[in-house]
Amino acid sequence: MKFTNRQFGELEYDDDHVVMFPGGLIGFEGNRKFLIVDDEDSEPFRWLVSLEDANLSFPMLDPALLLPGYAIDAATGGGKTVFVIASLRPGVDGSTVNLRSPLVIDNATRTARQMILDDEGLPLQFPLVPQASQAAGR
Amino acid sequence: MLILSRKNEEEIRLGDNITIKILSIQHGQVKIGIEAPRDVRVVRGELYAEIQQANLEASRGDRNVAAKAAAGLVRPGEKK
Repeated sequence: MKFTNRQFGELEYDDDHVVMFPGGLIGFEGNRKFLIVDDEDSEPFRWLVSLEDANLSFPMLDPALLLPGYAIDAATGGGKTVFVIASLRPGVDGSTVNLRSPLVIDNATRTARQMILDDEGLPLQFPLVPQASQAAGR
Repeated sequence: MLILSRKNEEEIRLGDNITIKILSIQHGQVKIGIEAPRDVRVVRGELYAEIQQANLEASRGDRNVAAKAAAGLVRPGEKK
C-alpha cells in the first residue's frame, strides 16, 4: 500500500508495518493508523507518521539515548518499545522531549498507546540539547 | 453536560465500575476520591491540556530541524 506524507513523500508499506493506536494520541484521538519511518538524514530521530493525515508526523527518540536510566513500568513486561516525542524548535535551541507521556508499542500486536506516567517529576518539556547553564550545574 | 449537586461523603457512579466520591469540601477546594479500573485514565484536566499542546507542537516537527538537532545530540556510550 501507499500513502503520501507532506514531508516524506510517497511511503510504501505492508499491513503488518502499521502501528495501531486504538485511542489515538492525546489531542489526536481520531488518528489511529501510523507508520514508523526511519529517515537517514534525521537519525537517530524516528518518525511516527499518520496514515490518515498527510500533515501529521511526530519525531520520536529512543529515551535510552537521552537518559540511560529512564525506565517505565509499562515496559518492564518485555516485548514493548518505548519512545518519547520531541517538540522541535526551528533553531533547535529550545527543542524538548516529553518524558511524562511516552509512547509504548507492543511489539507482538503492533498496538500502541500514549501513556501518562504518574511521576510528577518527569517533565513534559525536557531540553533536547542541554542548555549551557544547566550543563554547568551537572 | 449533566449537572449534579453532591454533599460531603456522597458519591456518583459512572457505569458499572467507576465511583466518584466527595471526600471533603473546604476553603473553596473539593477533595475527590475516584475508583476506576486500571485501564481508565484518570488525570487532571490541566495536565491533559498540556500534553495536547505538546503533541500539537511535536506534530509540526520538521525533518530538516530534526537533522540539525540530531547533529547536536550527544549519545551516551558512543565513541567519538
